[in-house]
Amino acid sequence: MGKIEWAMWANEQALAAGLILLTGGIVGVAGQFRDWEFAAYGVAAGVFICLLEYPRGKRNKGTSVERTGQYCLTVCVKAFGPVTSNYYVRAALHAALCVPGAFILPTVLGCVCLAIASLIYLAAAVRGEHWQPILPKTETRERVGESIKEPPQNPPPRPPAELRRKRPEDLEGAAYVNPISVTANE
Amino acid sequence: MALSWRSWIANEGGKHIILVVWLGANTWLFWRTFILYYSSPQYYYLHKMLGLGLCISRASASVLNLNSSLVLLPMCRSMLTCLRGSHKLMSRKGRRLMDKSKTFHMACGVAICVFSAVHVSAHLVNALSFSVRYSEEFPSLNVARHRGEDPRIIILTTVPGVTGVLLVLILFLMFTASSYCIRVSSYEIFWYTHNLFIVFYVVLLVHAIGGALKYQTNVDTHPPGCFRPNRTDPKTGSSAHPEQEPVLGASELPVGGDGFNSICKEEARFQAHFPETWLWVSGPLCLYCAERLYRYVRSSTPVTIVSVVSHPCNVIEVRMVKNSFKARPGQYIVLNCPSVSSLEGHPFTLTACPTERKATFGIHLRVVGDWTERFTELLLPDPSMDSEILPIVNQRRYPKLYIDGPFGSPSEEVFNYEVSLCVAGGIGVTPFASVLNALLDEWQRYKLRRIYFIWVCRELQSFYWFADLLCALHQKLWQDNRPDYFNIQLYLSNAEGLQNMSEERYRALSSRLLIGRPRWKLLFEEIGKANKHKRVGVFCCGPKGISKTLHKLCNSNRFFGTTFEYNKESFS
Repeated sequence: MGKIEWAMWANEQALAAGLILLTGGIVGVAGQFRDWEFAAYGVAAGVFICLLEYPRGKRNKGTSVERTGQYCLTVCVKAFGPVTSNYYVRAALHAALCVPGAFILPTVLGCVCLAIASLIYLAAAVRGEHWQPILPKTETRERVGESIKEPPQNPPPRPPAELRRKRPEDLEGAAYVNPISVTANE
Repeated sequence: MALSWRSWIANEGGKHIILVVWLGANTWLFWRTFILYYSSPQYYYLHKMLGLGLCISRASASVLNLNSSLVLLPMCRSMLTCLRGSHKLMSRKGRRLMDKSKTFHMACGVAICVFSAVHVSAHLVNALSFSVRYSEEFPSLNVARHRGEDPRIIILTTVPGVTGVLLVLILFLMFTASSYCIRVSSYEIFWYTHNLFIVFYVVLLVHAIGGALKYQTNVDTHPPGCFRPNRTDPKTGSSAHPEQEPVLGASELPVGGDGFNSICKEEARFQAHFPETWLWVSGPLCLYCAERLYRYVRSSTPVTIVSVVSHPCNVIEVRMVKNSFKARPGQYIVLNCPSVSSLEGHPFTLTACPTERKATFGIHLRVVGDWTERFTELLLPDPSMDSEILPIVNQRRYPKLYIDGPFGSPSEEVFNYEVSLCVAGGIGVTPFASVLNALLDEWQRYKLRRIYFIWVCRELQSFYWFADLLCALHQKLWQDNRPDYFNIQLYLSNAEGLQNMSEERYRALSSRLLIGRPRWKLLFEEIGKANKHKRVGVFCCGPKGISKTLHKLCNSNRFFGTTFEYNKESFS
């Protein structure tokens, strides 16, 4: 139990609660409930919560799995700095957002689900978790293959020219028979 | 790699047929219930009050009934294991379909969530309709107590309303904890919330008693829309005339009814339904409860741990013995050790099954999380105390261990192909280890004629887990004059430095050790060339990347007329 990251579950719950609030709001507006203004609020709040909760945070230990296309929203949410990365603020925000949902029937479910998500965020905040953005790593590795493709700048080291020339004291060893006869003008 | 139709149908055909049948059943059920509530005479007055909301909510409720009953069936693991074992009842195609039982469970779960959303939305509109269109003519049809009652009160003071809200909350908790991300990072959240399903079913049975929606019982004596003499319409103040009643559409007219021309003999009477959900859900629920009871009774006797061996790379092998425990190679068991955690059970594949000659069976487990760490601490002697406790080692007290199982897995099929390709990644070799142990015991009795064994590891030391087993099997098959039966290829994916197994007795392995990653396409071509026009079973137990590549290769063009059938083992 010691290593559970509650924030990850709270994030899933808040996203689902946002969708439930949004759906309830749409039903409330389309069904022309009395006090449909609360339903319109539900739509707006639902969209806002979905956008806020869509980018998943980075795990403390292990690999983090991103949601598809979350990069733009990660940048937006990161721009708010400590307001969004602190889970106490998120818990309070969700608790405040859920209250108007209790006034008409379609958004009651969204209200209750959001309240549960807010409680789990509070638990995560108490345990000291905070939101870190998942950003792609920008380090470039030294690729060994690249340097192999470059042609060598210098010739390979060779011994100096005197040593390569045939030595006159060893004429016996230096002699050879020319396979093609070489005679002058015949 | 081009997709080949014949390979695709051989690999994916069965699954997609089941998917189409399931979707068709859902669609048919939705449509049939929708039409029933839309045009049946016994719901005429209710439909007039509630409109489309009635039809959509009841249709989605019937789909929910179907999926709530189907979702339990793939989780009856012992029953599925029995079905897998009886070759008379199921063909190989049927057993391959059972590999996908968890996927089917997830599909039914998603369908439950989607249709719950539809059902709840429709009932929200129904609550409003009950409130706004309160009927003075037919008071027994009403759920609201007076016209214009707050819909929230209607929902929260009726049994179906309160149970419905509870069901949505439980479903919310279960669904949000079931995503892949949560299962991988903290399995306990998933496990404990998913066990709320029993509360879900109990509340569902209460929800269905409801009785909010009623049907008319005396359609023959009171055809819907009939002329009621001596009654004044409360709205217009004149005697009721069918044409003046608010008509919601041409399809309002009762089917086959000449109600408009007849006179009502008596007042309409309404009655609530028999809860249909009980008929759908009780069968699978009883089956599942029976299965859990059977598993509980079977796992109530603890096992006796015979030996514990420590292997390199954080792996330990535990050998145990238990009365009347039978298992087939490839199956897995679930361990529960109360000294570590009383409620958690962790699955491990058996690496050695009990045979007629040897009653012990064993597992290899890799120390990765906190449960396995604590379990290993309890099993292995403390290294600092080694020198002093030699006489005490014999009296080592092992913790009490309970096992649940064995449960079936796709790897049991290795013996049912003539040629099998087994690809293992790291600790994923465990199902194949039990297969190889069974072959070492007696290889002649199986249909299998050739097995290609590919094992990819990151570290050289990992191969020592089963080096003895591989060499023993290789040696035995050479002596029995079947050199082509067992083809080993070991790959070391971490290519740094010169690494080799230098021991003399592992010479067979060191000559088959290759550095780098396997080249799957070439391997498939080689296997296809050597086994033309045969059906090769491909078994993969390893990381996702490898299994995706293999799956794609199995679906692609046939190499030399050979069909590769893909079977994947999943760990979670």
